Amino acid sequence: MHCTMDDLLALQDGEGSVWARRHSESCGACRAELDALYQRIAGLKALPARRPPRDRWNTVRAAIVAQRVQRRHRWMGIGLAAAAGLAGFLIIRPIMGEKVYAEQLAQAKQQSAQLESTLRDYDPDSRVVSGRSAALCAQIEEQIAQLDGQLTQSALEAQNRELLMLWRQRVDLMRQLVTVRVMRAAYVGL
Amino acid sequence: MDRMTLSIPVSDVLVARAKAGDLEALEGLYRAFETPVYNLVRRMLRRPEDAEDVLQETFLEVVKSIGRYRGDGHLWGWIRQIAASKALMRLRRDKLRATETLDEEVAGGRSAGVAIGIDLERAFEQLSELSRTVVWLHDVEGFTHEEIAEQMGKTVSFSKSQLARAHARMRAWLAPDGGAA
Repeated sequence: MHCTMDDLLALQDGEGSVWARRHSESCGACRAELDALYQRIAGLKALPARRPPRDRWNTVRAAIVAQRVQRRHRWMGIGLAAAAGLAGFLIIRPIMGEKVYAEQLAQAKQQSAQLESTLRDYDPDSRVVSGRSAALCAQIEEQIAQLDGQLTQSALEAQNRELLMLWRQRVDLMRQLVTVRVMRAAYVGL
Repeated sequence: MDRMTLSIPVSDVLVARAKAGDLEALEGLYRAFETPVYNLVRRMLRRPEDAEDVLQETFLEVVKSIGRYRGDGHLWGWIRQIAASKALMRLRRDKLRATETLDEEVAGGRSAGVAIGIDLERAFEQLSELSRTVVWLHDVEGFTHEEIAEQMGKTVSFSKSQLARAHARMRAWLAPDGGAA
């Protein structure tokens, strides 16, 4: 029994069985087959290098450049989309914000007008209040007058956000005034 | 004789510049490796035009992936893996064209007394592309059967049996009677 090609290849790889190694050392035919195998492999390794028939660098270079341009365009596309999104956000957000402020401003003005109306209906001038309450009312009315002055000045220049803040302060003061006039008077009335 | 060397020296500076996308450095790499890559894939693939295409695909992959090359091991080893993988993809795409038989011209040429090296080369080229691939990767490029199996998506035994069959064929074709006995 001789070594098979599998045995010889395993020996060549340094993985042959003990039997194959011993046999190839003692059997002339197998020793010759193993040598032939080594020679074939050495012959394959010694084959001359095949060279590319044409210089393909210019094609490769053009493909690299084209890929870079394509990638740049893709990034530009992504960049433009992102920029458009950001611009939209920056434009729409203030618009949306202004819309909200305008609505809240209108609401504050309405509340202020309602409180003015409540106060008028109460007819505070014909009511009797304590001296302390009258002083407090005068102080609040003074603050409201100052605030009205600021509102008159800011009406044309200020943004809705600032106007809203001023009108909310006015609503608070009006509430305080109504509270002092109506509640204290009622209290006094009691 | 112009033999392929196991490692091709390339400076770290060239690799670093290539990683940065420098076209001159990339050309430097191309010039250093175009022949080894072409030789490898040409040994695996029967048609020269396929080998040229794979050479181009390999370098485009090298350009794309060189940022991931960590520098551990020879650059040639890394590029060789890419080239072998691309050639195998080409083989799979073309459904493993197989021509197993030695044609008359080759048999006649050998018996006419051409040099043994030419005989061996012609015998090798008569193997199927699958067998050529296994023989070249194992015997010349030094891939293990495990690596070949992984690259080909086959088993280790498949790689071993392909190698044994290929050598049995070449042995027969290169015998004085051309394997007729």
